[in-house]
Amino acid sequence: MVRECTLTALIRALSVTALVGGPVVALAQEEAGTKTAHELRADYDKNLKGKTIAFLPIATGVPLMDEWGSVIKTEAEWRGMNFVIRDPNNNPAAMQQALTALVDEKPDVIVVQNPSVTLLQKELKRAEAQGTHVIQMNMSSNYKSDAFVGADWFEVGRMLAEDVVKACGTGSGASGKVQIVQGELTAAASVDQIAGVMDTLNKDKAIKVVSNQAAQWDANNALNITATVIQQHPDLCASIGFWGIMQSGAAQAIRNAGKIDQVKVYASGEGSQLDCDQVNQGNFYKFLSYTAGEQGRDAFLAAVALLEADAKPGSSHKEYYTRPIWLDKSNASGANCYAVPKPPTPTTAADATPKK
Amino acid sequence: MTGPTKRKVARRISGHAAGPTVRPWVDHGRKYLGMVMQPGAAAGRFEPWRLAVGQLSQEQIVAALTVVLLLGFSLGLQGFATAANFLDLLRSISKLGILGLGMGLIVISRGIDLSEVAMMAGSWCVALTAIPRGLPPFWAAVLALTICVAVGLFNGVMVAFVEAPALFVTLATAYVIYGAAYWFASAFVAYAPLDAPWLVFAGRGTLLGIPMPILVFAAAALVVHAFLSRTSIGRFIYAQGDNPEAARLTGVALRPLTILEYVLVAALAWLAGLVWIGETGSMQMAIVQGTTIFDVILVVVLGGISLVGGRGGVFSVVAGCALIGTLLNAFTIMNVNSEVQNIIRGVVLLAAIILDNLLHPRDEETARQGD
Repeated sequence: MVRECTLTALIRALSVTALVGGPVVALAQEEAGTKTAHELRADYDKNLKGKTIAFLPIATGVPLMDEWGSVIKTEAEWRGMNFVIRDPNNNPAAMQQALTALVDEKPDVIVVQNPSVTLLQKELKRAEAQGTHVIQMNMSSNYKSDAFVGADWFEVGRMLAEDVVKACGTGSGASGKVQIVQGELTAAASVDQIAGVMDTLNKDKAIKVVSNQAAQWDANNALNITATVIQQHPDLCASIGFWGIMQSGAAQAIRNAGKIDQVKVYASGEGSQLDCDQVNQGNFYKFLSYTAGEQGRDAFLAAVALLEADAKPGSSHKEYYTRPIWLDKSNASGANCYAVPKPPTPTTAADATPKK
Repeated sequence: MTGPTKRKVARRISGHAAGPTVRPWVDHGRKYLGMVMQPGAAAGRFEPWRLAVGQLSQEQIVAALTVVLLLGFSLGLQGFATAANFLDLLRSISKLGILGLGMGLIVISRGIDLSEVAMMAGSWCVALTAIPRGLPPFWAAVLALTICVAVGLFNGVMVAFVEAPALFVTLATAYVIYGAAYWFASAFVAYAPLDAPWLVFAGRGTLLGIPMPILVFAAAALVVHAFLSRTSIGRFIYAQGDNPEAARLTGVALRPLTILEYVLVAALAWLAGLVWIGETGSMQMAIVQGTTIFDVILVVVLGGISLVGGRGGVFSVVAGCALIGTLLNAFTIMNVNSEVQNIIRGVVLLAAIILDNLLHPRDEETARQGD
């Protein structure tokens, strides 16, 4: 009680001082800006400036990962942070080595994309134990780290399938025949998407999945599979593909068969200009974008939040899910499509990708 | 001389010198007429498996197997035996076939070119990304061809003059092309232009109802076949593959010949790329890192172009492609998933290599590959 009184008195005294000294302070502020602004920024800089953020994608040279890298790099540089990137070039062994080396360098944050749920989990655990925050992107490992940023693949699959049911299901008057072009049967992005797709498609009796195959993320494989499927099922209603660049091959096969106006081609993907071009050329009927640029920003903001909270790495788990957006001819332009960036130059790539 | 070596030499003599000598550069044309027996069949020991398959060349076995499969699928698989499906089947193997012609040619000469897919993808990626920057499509195609030929020349010079092993030279070149293409084009995937119908005609067009890729493959196969079997340079390639030292001693200019071979592979890679961009509408750099190059080697080895060189021909590539194409087409119709397809593809490759070993046993002459 006594303490509270003292505190109130102090505040009152301070306000009086502020009122009296107001003009003087205001004069000073005109020259140096508001004090609060300085303090806020100083606090921000104290938490961020000079900190190191490391980015370890599965490979660079892919529109999705290049956009992440480019966004994180730009945001980091503006804040005076150091940006480090390693390119294991699709090689799991090189990726593990690169991560070990990175962890040993003790950066403040590591942003990592997991090729599988187990490959990197031990090292990620070690990173957090030694004081490095770990942010996992789009595909989480079994180890739950400080933050996960990415798409909910099950939701992406469900959204794709719901639209397909609308276009081809009961009451649509269409054949109900659907083709699915998966990426790799073992990749988490494929496994969860197919679960979401099948979960929804199975609810409508009119839908018949005539082909469900993996094209190894390759447009040419998708083309060959789809050319056979469209020829066996000329009344195909829709084709669902789990990645825009791969699905462009399926769309081309359907176009080559003269059926691009009849078959509705769906794809999910990062939403680069390449995907938007496919939509605008009429190859994709609809495209579900998980907005790589937003994901990059989310990852960076997660890093900022972690650094500012100054919490012990590994002490909390935060999730930042991406809101997927539908693109069609009406909105596949401008800010909805990012220009494919040049991959950030890997730093000390020599030790990240040892040549045999 | 130690015991084992003696035995090997003895086997070589019994297999080659005592039986009808196989000289592919001389007998290649006649071989198709069945006038020359395979070396295994003439071996002194009684080996029933060799009697069973030894009378046939590997490509004949593969072709026969393909026919059996075609008949089986036609009877048992609904929707398989239609003209449209057969055209689709042929179309789907055309690009692989064109790449296989190049690989076949180089393997016959006892070389190998692991950069073939990289040349195709890299050159066309650079060319396609140059079109939006103002390069006319025709000159883009010329640019792609120039890049391919330049890389082919480089490979040839490295193998012929520097005498570096082809396996490592072309592997390294593949890496360089992959990186350099990114450097220049910075494109993960390049799309074919929409306003140049002639550029995509080789992949997308049809002539008399037949898809162009099939016709391009057929034309390329005829040209390569004529070159290999009807010209002296073609025969020299067999001579080089069978025994380079002997070929050199008889006066074949091996170094220029080697360069020519690598340039021809490069030109075929360019042609395959022309079909590829038309058909798929795009070129994806990721195929350089994928298994495409091994698929090419698969159809070549499967069809009976032995990795020890000097054996097989264009028909081998066609037979290998037909078998793989038939399997993949039927699997797609049956909706078999691609992991199972990969297993079957691997088993088929293994079977082909074992067959190759049975038909062409390793001996002193052929064990020198890669030294």
